[in-house]
Order: sequence, then C-alpha cells, then structure tokens
Amino acid sequence: MEPQNIININGIDYSFTPGETILEVATRNDIYIPTLCYLKGMSPTGVCRICLVEVEGVKTLLASCSTQATPGMVVKTDTPAVINARRMNIELLLASGDHNCLARSLDAGLWTDFQLDALDIEEHRDLCPAYGDCRLQDLAILYRVKPDHVVPVNPKYDVEDVNPFIVRDFSRCILCGRCVQVCNEIQVNKVISFGYRGATSKIITRGDRALKDSDCVFCGECLQVCPVGALMPKQDMALRTPVNEMKKVRTTCSYCGVGCQIYLHVKDNRIERVTGVEGTSPNLGSLCVKGRFGYDFVAHPERLTTPLIKKDGEFHEATWDEALDLVAKRMNDIKRDFGPDSIGLFTSARITNEENYLAQKFIRAVIGTNNIDHCARL
Amino acid sequence: MSEVLFSCWNGKVVDNRAKEADTLESPAHISLPANFFNGKDIKAFMGWGGFVIKDSGISIVNLCVAFLEKVQQESCGQCTPCRIGTKIMLEIMRGIAEGRGREEDLADIISIGEFVRKASKCTIGQTSPTPVIDAITYLREEFEAAIASKNSLTKDDTSRYIGKVTAPCINACPSHLNIPQYVEDIKHGRFLDSLQVIRENTCLPGVLGRVCVRPCELSCRRANADEAIAIKHLKRFVADFESDRHITPKIPRSTSRKDKKVGIIGAGPAGITCAYYLAKKGYQVTVFERFGEPGGMSAMGIPDYRLPRSVLRREVEIVQSLGVEIRYNTLVGRDITMKKIKDEFDAVFIAVGAQGSSSMRIEGEDAGYKGYIPGVKYLLDINQGRDPYPEGKKVVVVGGGNVAIDCVRSSFRVGKEDVNLVYRRTRKEMPADDIEVKDAEEEGVKFHFLCNPTRIIAENGKVTGVELIRMELGEPDESGRRRPVPVEGSQFIIDTDILVPAIGQAIDLSFLDADTQLEVTRRNTIVVDPETMMTSEEGIFSAGDCVTGPGALVAAAGGGRTAALRMHEYLSGKPVKRSDGELMEDFFSAIGVYDPAEDLGIIGGGQRKHLKMMPPEERKSSFAEVESGFSVSEAMIEADRCLRCYRIGVVAL
Ligand SMILES: Cc1cc2nc3c(=O)[nH]c(=O)nc-3n(C[C@H](O)[C@H](O)[C@H](O)COP(=O)(O)OP(=O)(O)OC[C@H]3O[C@@H](n4cnc5c(N)ncnc54)[C@H](O)[C@@H]3O)c2cc1C
Ligand code: SF4
Ligand code: SF4
Repeated sequence: MEPQNIININGIDYSFTPGETILEVATRNDIYIPTLCYLKGMSPTGVCRICLVEVEGVKTLLASCSTQATPGMVVKTDTPAVINARRMNIELLLASGDHNCLARSLDAGLWTDFQLDALDIEEHRDLCPAYGDCRLQDLAILYRVKPDHVVPVNPKYDVEDVNPFIVRDFSRCILCGRCVQVCNEIQVNKVISFGYRGATSKIITRGDRALKDSDCVFCGECLQVCPVGALMPKQDMALRTPVNEMKKVRTTCSYCGVGCQIYLHVKDNRIERVTGVEGTSPNLGSLCVKGRFGYDFVAHPERLTTPLIKKDGEFHEATWDEALDLVAKRMNDIKRDFGPDSIGLFTSARITNEENYLAQKFIRAVIGTNNIDHCARL
Repeated sequence: MSEVLFSCWNGKVVDNRAKEADTLESPAHISLPANFFNGKDIKAFMGWGGFVIKDSGISIVNLCVAFLEKVQQESCGQCTPCRIGTKIMLEIMRGIAEGRGREEDLADIISIGEFVRKASKCTIGQTSPTPVIDAITYLREEFEAAIASKNSLTKDDTSRYIGKVTAPCINACPSHLNIPQYVEDIKHGRFLDSLQVIRENTCLPGVLGRVCVRPCELSCRRANADEAIAIKHLKRFVADFESDRHITPKIPRSTSRKDKKVGIIGAGPAGITCAYYLAKKGYQVTVFERFGEPGGMSAMGIPDYRLPRSVLRREVEIVQSLGVEIRYNTLVGRDITMKKIKDEFDAVFIAVGAQGSSSMRIEGEDAGYKGYIPGVKYLLDINQGRDPYPEGKKVVVVGGGNVAIDCVRSSFRVGKEDVNLVYRRTRKEMPADDIEVKDAEEEGVKFHFLCNPTRIIAENGKVTGVELIRMELGEPDESGRRRPVPVEGSQFIIDTDILVPAIGQAIDLSFLDADTQLEVTRRNTIVVDPETMMTSEEGIFSAGDCVTGPGALVAAAGGGRTAALRMHEYLSGKPVKRSDGELMEDFFSAIGVYDPAEDLGIIGGGQRKHLKMMPPEERKSSFAEVESGFSVSEAMIEADRCLRCYRIGVVAL
C-alpha cells in the first residue's frame, strides 16, 4: 500500500483527510499543542507562533495551525527545540506589556522597576481583571516561564475607557489578532485591524479612534475571544470579581426570539457578566449588544417589583390579582361600550413563539378582533 | 574603489583586516557597486544575508542598531517573534551603542535572534537576525570592547544610514509593486485593499494582470520549492473583482490644485501612467494622442483576445476621472506643433513609443507590393476591426517575439486559413512567452524554424511568395544565444499571399521640429538622464519604449511613474533626483535579491492554480478573451502560497 495520507506525529502514524492541518490531526488524536491565536473553524492566521512544531526536512519551526498535513510528514510536537521556542515566545509576550500578575518573575532589581512602571496606569493598580481566566497566564504557569533576562518593552498606549461597554487595555494586548478575525469574518463589521508596525503595533479602528467613534456596534464578539486582559466589559473593570468566585449559569437570552444561548456569571445572586455559549446553536457564542451588555436591569434599584395602579393621579403598589382584575374589567367595559374592534394587541419580540401564539388566540377568540400585530413586523 | 575589509555573506567570510594590499580577497558572492549614491562610496552594508564592511571608521555596533531599527519599522507586527524579539534585540544593541551594555547582552541577543530566526512567520523575521548574529560571532571583540568601555558610540557617528525593504519579486518588477503585500491582502479576503496597494505603483492593474511579461514570477522564491506564485493572475483577479461589481475606486489625491500645466505626447502605458500620478498630485494634465483610442501598443498592438479593450478603457476612464484631458486624433507635428506645446505647458513628457516597424533589409521590401504588411500595421488594422488584406488567405509572419505570435494568432481570427511563422533560430531561443507559443501551436500555426527570408517574390505588384534560406546555429553572440548563420545554397520558396515582417519596432521622432533638437542614440531612442528622466532639453522629460526601445508594458508604465515623480520635483522647485528608496532599489538590483540556488527548506508541493482557457478550436476564430480569471476561492488559495520574502538592507554612507 502506498503511504498515502499518513502523517507521523511523535513516532506514531495517524491518517488524515487532505486539507487537515497538523493541529487538527493532533487534536483529534489527543495530542496537546498549545494555541493562542487559533480560532476553531476559521482560516488560521498563524501569527502567535505558540503552536510551533518541528517538521522533518524544514529549517524553521512551523505553525501547526496553518500547516496542512502532507503524506509522509514527520512531526515532533515536544522536542527541546519546540519547548524552548514556546518558552521564549511566552517570555517575549510577557515582556511586551504590563502583565504584572503572578506570571511575571523578574530578578529583584528589574521587578520593582517593572511593577512601578505598570502601576503608573491607574487601571493597573488593582488585580488584572483577567486573572485566573487568562491564556497567557495559564501558558506561563504551564511552561514555568521565568522571564529573567528580557527587557520589558511596552509601547505604552493609554487605556481606552471612554466606550460605553468595552475597555481596551493595549498594554495587556498580545496582538494575537483573534478580535480582528472575528470582527471581520464572523460579525463582518470590519471595524478593527492591525495598525502601525513592529513593537508599536496596535489593534486599531480606522483612523485609530476609540471604538465609540468608529463603526463598532458593540456586539462584544472581540471580548468573547480575547484570551487575556486586553478587552474587558466595562462593568467587569469596576467589579473585578475573580472568575473562580463566579458561578456560571446557562440560559436562553430573553431579548428576542432567536434564542441565543448564554452563560450568566453570577456572584451572590447578581449577574456580573454575560458570555455566549460556544459551539452551540443558534448563536455559536456570538451575541448582540443587548444580550451581552444589557443585563443590569435585572438587579437595577429602579426596577419595578410589583404592579402599580394609578389612583387620583398617583401610582400605588398593588398585588398581581388586583392588577389583572382591573385590566380584565376595563377591557370588558371597553369591549361592551365600543365593540371589540376598539381593542388591539401589539406583541413583543421579547416573548416566545408560543406566547405570541397565545396572544393572537386571546385577541381573536376571547376579545373577538383581528387587531393584532408584532414589533418585529416593522 | 576601496577594498572590502570584512564581509560575511551567506555564512562565507572574507577577512582582509590584517592582510597586505596584494593578498586581499574579494568576496565572490556579493559585490558592492562603487560610487553608487550620487558618487558617494558605500562604507558598509548590512542585509538579509550578512554584512560587508569597507571603511574602517564604521562601528559594527551602530550598523547593527541602524539595521535593527529598520527591521522594527518594517516588521508587520503580527507574529510575536519578529514583533517583540527584534525590538528587544534592538533595545539591547542600542544599550551597548550608548554605553549601557552589560556582559550578558551578547548571549541574550543571540538566543533571542536564534528564536526569531526559527519561529517567525515570514522572511523578515527569518532572515533579519542572521547578520546581527554573524556580526557578533565574527567581530565579537568589537562588541565586547564597546560593552567594556561604557562610552557612547553614537555621539560621534557621522555616517548616514539608509534602509529599505524589498523582496525578490518587488525588485524584479520594473514598477516595484509591493507584491507580497497585495498578495497577502488577497489571502485575507481584502480585495479592494489589495487593489489600493497595486495602485500605489501602477494605474493599470487590469491590463498588467492580463498581459504583463511578469519578471516578478521569474524571480519568485517559491519556484525554488515548487512553482512561482501566479502574481499576474492575482492582480487580474482584484482588478476584475472591482470592475465586475461596478465599484468606483476611491483614488486618494492631493487636495491642493497646482497651477502648473503638463503636456504629454502619447496615450500609451507610459503617457497614461505619468498623467495619473501627476493628476493625483493636483497638476493639470493634457495628453495628445494620434489615435481615437487610448492605450498605445496595448490597444493597437495587443489583440483583444488577450486584452479586451473594455479593460483598458475603464482604467483610462479612472485616470480621466482625476481631471486628465486626452485630446484624441491629434498627431503632434501635424495637428499641433511641438513649439506650441512647449509654449503652452510648464513641462512636457514625451511617450510616443516605438510604433514603426524595422525592415528585414531584403529585396522587394520597398516596392510597395500588395500583401507586404509590417507587423505593427497588420495588428493595428485588425485591432481597428479591419482585415488588412481580405483577398489574401495564406500568411507568412517573420519573427520570434510576442509581436510575431500576436500576428499569427490574430490571423486565424480574421479568417486566414493557412498561417505560418518563420524564425531564424529554434523554438528554444524564441523570445516570445513560452505559454503563448504553445497556445499558437495548439491553434494550428505552422512553424518554420532555422530559416530566414532572402527575397520577396511578387507578380503584378502582389506578393506571391517568399524565398527563404536555411540557417544553422553557430557561436553564441553577446546575448548568449547562438548566432544563426545561413547555409550556403539552401534557398527555397514558400508560396504566400501575405508577408508580415515582425522582427522589431522602430521609433518615429519626425514630430520633433527644428526648434526641438533632442539628443538621440544610434538606435534613434531618446536620451534621458536616468537621474532626472529629463531629455537634453530642460523641462522635456521622456520614458517608455521611445527611450528604452521596444520593451514591456510594465517597464514603460514604470518609466511613466518615475518621470511623474521627477516632473513633480521639477515643477515644485525641489531638487530633481532619484530618492533614497529608488537608489536603494537600484542598489539591491546590483547586488541581486533573488538567489535561484537557495534551498528554502520548506515543504513544497503546493500546486499553482491555473486559469481556465477556451479550447483551441473555439478560441481560434474568436476575439473574445481566451482566459477566464480566478474565482474568489482559487485566488485566496493561490495567495496563501506566497512566502512573503521581504528582506531588509541598510547601507552606511
Ligand atoms: C503586438 C505587441 C504585443 C505586445 N505584447 C505585450 C505583452 O504581452 N506584454 C507586455 O508587457 N508588453 C507587450 N508589448 C509591448 C508594450 O505594448 C509596449 O512596451 C508599451 O505599450 C510601450 O508603451 P509606451 O507608452 O512607451 O508606448 P506606446 O504604447 O507605443 O504608446 C505611444 C503612444 O503615443 C502615440 N503617438 C506616437 N506618436 C505620436 C505623435 N506624434 N502625436 C501624438 N501621439 C503620438 C501613439 O499613438 C501611442 O498611443 C507588445 C507590443 C506589441 C507591439
Ligand atoms: S492579561 Fe493575563 S498575563 Fe497579562 S496581567 Fe492579565 S492575567 Fe496576567
Ligand atoms: S513567494 Fe511571494 S514574496 Fe516570495 S518572491 Fe514569490 S511572490 Fe514574492
């Protein structure tokens, strides 16, 4: 038999389908290759260089996410050369920003300078909001990186916190480009791209303006994929609740009938953050601005908790029974005096299909009119 | 020329520092041209393959700093090793140069450099650490001395450093298109951005995307592993993407209107391109064109089945949308005099091309026989929709270049039945594009190699045949091709109705009047100063085929663009000269950017995508475009094959 579509990884042969990358074959066979910029299901960019592997006959190391398997290819994923490259890579990433969490252990002299430098920025005085939920921190711990001889080089861009929902902290950005990819390829808003060159590189909008002054619609897709603490929901920046103190509750978004699957991140019975559930229909992790950021009404102090009935020009708290009885009585009165066609029902996208069905049943069968419409029909 | 003191290129070291004058070695693998930068000698050079030092006053540490600074400027900033790694190398190196060096610095630079070289995504990162690592390896004492002395080396450094990025393909292209950039934009689906990159260097993407002779592809590094990138077809893809969707391009142009006026003679590729770049700068441009149609030889010479006229017209319309006026059917010399143009305009650009035909110097050529039609004229008629000689059914075309091939292939398309091509060497030596020769073969052209016409045979003033003599190949001539020599007494005759000489083009400068006596060469080409693009008369510039002799479209267009840059300098009172960037690109050409022998050490096997072509029987009689462009996915897959072979060089003057 010809050695067709067989690739050897770490001494063992695996079959592959033409078009599969080394990373895909490895992952399918439970071989761990770390990734940062890789986004499943999207065209790989191969920029973070964390997933490098050794391929026989090739001078450089290759990014496994963007190299397709070819027949007879011999790959090694964990040689000393590969491990050293990954460690150096992580070290450089740590040196390129204010990553002043536990991940960083410089020699004593440099450490103080580094901390003082990082603390220059007000937002960095508290714990990084990504702490405990950061791919870079994870990798630094996994590969036991101790950046001891690398000079910190930080381009020092101001934290952008003028936006309504998203805080951009460029000094913690590792330029993996995931946000750029999802903005351009999933949401197709095409708001951000790589800007400037070399170490001054920055993810920018057109004209390097703040998100709020760009075409950004604040869907937060970029937040969802940011592996570090560079993009944060504005509410989170204020609360800074460590991830391990929050409970994740899966539910369905109630804003419209699409039925997006979301996680509520809850602490002390309060929602502190909303994220999309990856890999599940209908939204595959994506959300809109309302679903992702519009949750503060739940615990809002001004939220109504009982029905109110207006008496003598003023609202008074009432029970549900009182309120519903009043509405039913008034409807019956109006129907009797002016006929059923004097009543109309306008339904909402915030209720389910079933509830919408019941609404039209109610207006037709109970009230006796065809006056029904729906806000999404506009 | 001063001698090389020390050099290391592709790992090969030449060390002349302690040698006597008569035992000096010169590096065989790299040679620096002397007096390159306006007569200044290069003191040192550092680039992708290593470094060369000629002047003992140069500090290698400072050279490394200048080089790494340029690397940081050019690093696209996407992959981690190159973005951060070269920045840290630069900062450490700068520390050494400024007297803040530490003992462990050299080891750090080397270990980071090794990582950057092995782990980077493209060749900026993969090649840039090499010269720095080599410098530390071979000249370690100089770095150590700098660290030990704690003195700043930068304070008294009077050298000027010029850096530039290029790539084998960019350097080979006469218009220096930023090929890796526009190809990468295609790979990421940013088709209109890609087109914008192309338009920085040419206004004819759709034209060049179809008929360019593509010197870039001959220098494409990917070919060392499998096949060159389909650079030309990718350019056509983005141009078609825009025009198929009727997108009006946004052309950035200077907001300030200049009051200076420029007159251009000839609306060929050189003239149109020059007009485009001057109009973008805000000048008022008027083009005088003999024919009723723009494009010069690309319209009147290149047949429609290779380049549909609509593509050319659209690109010229874009140029006109910038305010360029084209006065058609205006033959300078007859309808307007050169003198009048000089009076009316602040600067003049001559781009009249090479529109005449060279003679074969055989008996009967000047007799005015019916059926004797020079190649350029033959194509001109066909391109204007006329059969040059309807009664004639059999054609013999003489020549081996692209013009000859266009003549034979067009012949079928106006209904000629028996089409022959006569060439004095063999198929192997034909200068025409191999692909086109193959297409012509498929379409049924009969080739007669190793023979040459000696006499035209005519009856009643009409061509009836041509006498040929057999040739054999002798010693190589100055072009390296073996010279054909006639075989005594081997004459024979082919019958034919039409004889088309297509052996070369001549330049017609009869429009110049007594008032304008420009210096010309023996071949009747206009002499210009390559530094200023100016002719022997102040304010008159020229480029294109009328300067270079018949050449390629991309070269003529590139000449038009360079002339526009010089004319802008001239009209705005700035020094008229080639920029540092242009000089660096010339310098790179002189030292060679593409190395066909380089072992890339990559996995090859990525198949180049080819365009779909009409079957020979169908296309043979049709002027419809014979090739159809890439689909979106084909283009993106092809673009992904590009290796982004950027390379950086810095010279010290
Ligand atoms: C048959 C043929 C096929 C070719 N195929 C290719 C190819 O596939 N790829 C490629 O790269 N190159 C090709 N070339 C070469 C290419 O077309 C030329 O190099 C290019 O057009 C030269 O441009 P230019 O602007 O210098 O001159 P031209 O294109 O010759 O334009 C000169 C213009 O000046 C006008 N003009 C001349 N005199 C006057 C006057 N006195 N007054 C007013 N106007 C005047 C002419 O009418 C013409 O429009 C081909 C050439 C020919 C002849
Ligand atoms: S982004 Fe990650 S690595 Fe950087 S400071 Fe925050 S937790 Fe640490
Ligand atoms: S692979 Fe790309 S960058 Fe390299 S020479 Fe070819 S086209 Fe240019």
